Amino acid sequence: MPQNDTIKDLNLDEHRYDFVTEGKPKFRAEKGLSEAVVRQISEHKEEPEWMLEYRLKALDIYNKKPMPTWGGDLTDLEDTLEEIYFYVRPQDKMERSWDDVPDEIKDTFEKLGIPEAERNVLAGVGAQYESEMVYHSLKQEWEEQGVIFDSIEDGLKNHPEIFREYFGTVIPAGDNKFAAMNAAVWSGGSFVYIPKGVSLETPLQAYFRVNSERMGQFERTLIIVEEGAQAHYIEGCTAPVYSTESFHSGVIEIVVKDNARFRYTTIQNWSNNMYNLVTQRAMVEAGGHMEWLDGNLGSKLTMKYPSCYLLGEGAHGEILSIAYSGNGQHQDTGGKVVHVAPNTTSSIVSKSISKGTGRSTYRGLCKVYEGAHHARSNVECDALLINDTSRTDTYPYIEIDEQDANVGHEASVSKIGEEQLFYLTSRGIPEDEAMAMIVRGFIEPIAKELPLEYAVELNRLIELEMEGSVG
Amino acid sequence: MHDIGFMEGITDALNGAAVEHVSRGEPEWLRERRAHAWDVYERTPLPTTKLEEWRYTDLKRKLDLDALRLSEAEAAPDDPEAWPERLRKAMDEDRVAAGHLVVIDGHVVHTDLDEALAEKGVVLMSLHTALETHEELVREHLATEAVPPEEGKFAALNAALWTDGIFLYVPRGVRLEHPIRVTRWVSEPGAAYFSRTLIVAEDASQVSYVDEVVSDPLERQTLVSNAVEVLARQAAQVQYVSLQRLGSGAFFQSVQRTLAERDATLDTLNVGLGSSVSRVDLNARLLGSGGNSDMLGLYFGDQNQHFDFNTSQDHVAPNASSNLLYKGALDGESRAVFRGLIRVHPKAQRTDAYQTNRNLLLSGKARADTLPNLEIEADDVKCSHGATVGELDSETKFYLMSRGLDRITAERMVVLGFLGEVLARLPLGGVVEKVTRVIEEKLAGHG
Amino acid sequence: MSEAPILKIEGLEAKVADEEFPILNGVDLEVRKGEIHAIMGPNGSGKSTLAKVLAGHPGYLVTSGSVTYQGEDLLDLETDERSRAGIFLAFQYPVEVPGVSIANFLRTAVQAHLPEGEEVDLFEFSDTLTERMQMLEMDVSFAERHVNDGFSGGEKKRNEILQMAMLEPSLALLDETDSGLDIDALKTVADGVNKLTAQHPDMSIVLITHYQRLLDYIKPDIVHVMMEGKLVRSGGPELALELEKEGYKDWRPEVAAPNTRADADSAEA
Repeated sequence: MPQNDTIKDLNLDEHRYDFVTEGKPKFRAEKGLSEAVVRQISEHKEEPEWMLEYRLKALDIYNKKPMPTWGGDLTDLEDTLEEIYFYVRPQDKMERSWDDVPDEIKDTFEKLGIPEAERNVLAGVGAQYESEMVYHSLKQEWEEQGVIFDSIEDGLKNHPEIFREYFGTVIPAGDNKFAAMNAAVWSGGSFVYIPKGVSLETPLQAYFRVNSERMGQFERTLIIVEEGAQAHYIEGCTAPVYSTESFHSGVIEIVVKDNARFRYTTIQNWSNNMYNLVTQRAMVEAGGHMEWLDGNLGSKLTMKYPSCYLLGEGAHGEILSIAYSGNGQHQDTGGKVVHVAPNTTSSIVSKSISKGTGRSTYRGLCKVYEGAHHARSNVECDALLINDTSRTDTYPYIEIDEQDANVGHEASVSKIGEEQLFYLTSRGIPEDEAMAMIVRGFIEPIAKELPLEYAVELNRLIELEMEGSVG
Repeated sequence: MHDIGFMEGITDALNGAAVEHVSRGEPEWLRERRAHAWDVYERTPLPTTKLEEWRYTDLKRKLDLDALRLSEAEAAPDDPEAWPERLRKAMDEDRVAAGHLVVIDGHVVHTDLDEALAEKGVVLMSLHTALETHEELVREHLATEAVPPEEGKFAALNAALWTDGIFLYVPRGVRLEHPIRVTRWVSEPGAAYFSRTLIVAEDASQVSYVDEVVSDPLERQTLVSNAVEVLARQAAQVQYVSLQRLGSGAFFQSVQRTLAERDATLDTLNVGLGSSVSRVDLNARLLGSGGNSDMLGLYFGDQNQHFDFNTSQDHVAPNASSNLLYKGALDGESRAVFRGLIRVHPKAQRTDAYQTNRNLLLSGKARADTLPNLEIEADDVKCSHGATVGELDSETKFYLMSRGLDRITAERMVVLGFLGEVLARLPLGGVVEKVTRVIEEKLAGHG
Repeated sequence: MSEAPILKIEGLEAKVADEEFPILNGVDLEVRKGEIHAIMGPNGSGKSTLAKVLAGHPGYLVTSGSVTYQGEDLLDLETDERSRAGIFLAFQYPVEVPGVSIANFLRTAVQAHLPEGEEVDLFEFSDTLTERMQMLEMDVSFAERHVNDGFSGGEKKRNEILQMAMLEPSLALLDETDSGLDIDALKTVADGVNKLTAQHPDMSIVLITHYQRLLDYIKPDIVHVMMEGKLVRSGGPELALELEKEGYKDWRPEVAAPNTRADADSAEA
């Protein structure tokens, strides 16, 4: 158990969620990644043989693939990985009701506002503490509608056919080095199945946090939205600040069937020593509609490019992303849209803010294959620079193989204008508040898409970050 | 004059012996420079598609360096009657000029320059002649600051093997009213041509330079490699135009670097119409406050043509501006790659940089890849970029046809209007008409 | 009038921060409670600069002179402090603030003007906003639009007067509020200003304008002529008519200040 004397490193004024709760992990695998660790994980989870084989094959791929040389600086990562616990499991059984959740975990959630949220709006909460679901409730009527909202482990146990049909098909283990790593050691995450025609009004939410020093988190989420179904899934993460580097590598696979609609919202606010390398992808079939809403505020380095593969005629993909990079942070984010079928449409809107020595990179791909007639795609990236030490890059790849495609990309870089600031302060608004107001206005087109409580939280975070930026 | 005819026993392939051969009789510093460049060439692996800058142009499939040999052609006579008809036709279309220079199969065979300008100290000559008459200037600038061999595989190969080139020098305060026109011709299938262009425009001078390269179809792959270095000193105004009209079979490769000092204006226009494969690397460096570069590009591809433009706008100094506009239309199974980078260095505050690439796909088999990149390390900047790929706007076409134009005429009008925006920004006499005519010819083949 | 002036400018000289030549060359002006002053002058005479310097624009540097506002040294205050002290500048070129709604912006500004610890009453705020918008013949939906983003010239100017109405300043500086307005829009804006001054008889106003026509709708008490960074002549409303007829030709200061940036105002555009 890590010592809580690290708490003295925390700056509570700046990070609302930087607190450490005493936890007692029940089981923890040895440090580092090896075949033994993978076997241990699989055995502990009482998995079927095929999954163990899948994991081992993925480990092999992971070992063979070189570290990516593009994107962010991963030079220190190899050492970090040696020091990571690839599996930690805090409890043995799944919790069904709030009363069963241990007090110290409840305490953490209470600080995060989960219980109120549940009492008020939230219909089902899949909350992840350390590597696994410990608390999970599902609204009765959803169960009646046949909706499955489970931990990924229970998904495998209780719905083996659906699970096996889709698992690893959207993002194969060989997709990239970190997808392979995840495939080998995944633990925790959600399994969601929305049956044909079912439409959920209230969003499904999973809130989870990493709370054990030097522990990587490898959540794996698999979501299947059947024909004509509609749902919205929200994932948010915060992590306390620790002194050594931490690591998170998730894989999110989503299948959106014919005419289904799905939105996946993430706001990540990992502590600023976290490597956050996530692969998230959706396969969208005919007439389907997929939206990624991606907010990246925390971490030391994030590399994350939510993608939509538009496989069926008329499919639509949308990626809205906000990145905030403060001192020492690098957000290397963006999105990918791949048009395979005719009449598919997509849009990417990306807004980034770089402050201090922060660096924001937009990296995106828009690909139109031959035969994707009348594909339309539009990409817009705007970057805001706060200080002269801030940096922004834009790397949009546009590959067009089809004549009647219509693809556009626009980007701009600006700083907060002196005139704009003068205008606001001349109305009596103090300068740092004016600065925060401009930044909020800058991200407004995306923030307005967020559920209210998240928008409020985002605005608050921006305000906290903007404090002291004048000078 | 330097003799580049081959002696017996010397291999004609591109190798160290060839470097020795081309450097015979040259001053020691140049021999050393060539040897060094060859060394860099040998140490630099052939770029593969794994390199970002070569992601969409697979040299392994597009270029067979081993099958090439240095051109063996003798110098043609300085007599227009003896020159190929297409070359003469290209020259006839040119309008008034301050001077001409003709290069046939790697040899500078003709130069003329307005006498008044020559008296003022303007120099237009073959690089070999310049080595004798202006050695210090050439030594200072050739393959040093602008395109050193370390720039890449092709820059190194060119620096090692160039056989001749063009030297243009415009003294302080001298302004040329009419452009300098260079016309090149290549005719040997399977040959490799390496040429350099060095332009030095001193403080407050002004010059426009148009470099056109023409050939017949070439039945075997032929490499036409250029390294272009343009220096605009303080408040100088320079326009550099490259007009590429090579025949099929040609692999056109051009590494260009422009250096704009304080308050200098250094504009470029790259027109790609011919060749099977064309790769242009253009790096515009804004070295002084108040510098400005307009960077224009225009391409029209058909059949299997492959164009690859790799540009960068390198803002080193504050208060400078650059504005890039590359537009192309692609027919048949042609393909275009545009990769642009605006790079704002940390001290380059108040940079104003724009970058736009627009592509029109005229056929179902054409393809365009565009990567307009930004790397910004200063906060007080105005930078934006945009890229589009699309087909002919059907509304526009409909509008024109509703006024009685047939489909082909309407399409032609839209395409010419689309590409015309580029030419309108650098309306040099002769260039606009010539480019428009060639595009019209190409469009006539569009069904 | 024995009462102390609300604004007293003495020998004010100012220049663009990183440039050499002064734009203001010794401005002297006194404005008393409830007075309406008009400052007229050709382009580049320094009118807009004076307004910006008074509002505390960071791009200008005061090199000499003093400005006393309500007995205090105005030049000591930051821009936002000046606003909270009751100075309002209606911009010649209002700035676009994308993503920030007018309602949100005004609520924040009104809040900033309240004493520490007091909160804006949202219902009252909303009622006041609606009422002021009606006064200016603005549609209520206007409040949800982003500040000046995509506004027409007339909408921008109206938005400036709306802000003035909401913040109820003691001293309003209207910088070329008439420019770019057609006659109907000009009347609406002038009506708004007149209603405000009727409600707040103590409010002082400095109108900066190039043309006489605004003064047909807002009657000034005192008219000043500005040339080459100085107020060269002052008088009653008849002075404006005289200017309109004869132009500015003969009004140069006796000793023209050298090195004045002649295009100061237009360069700022």
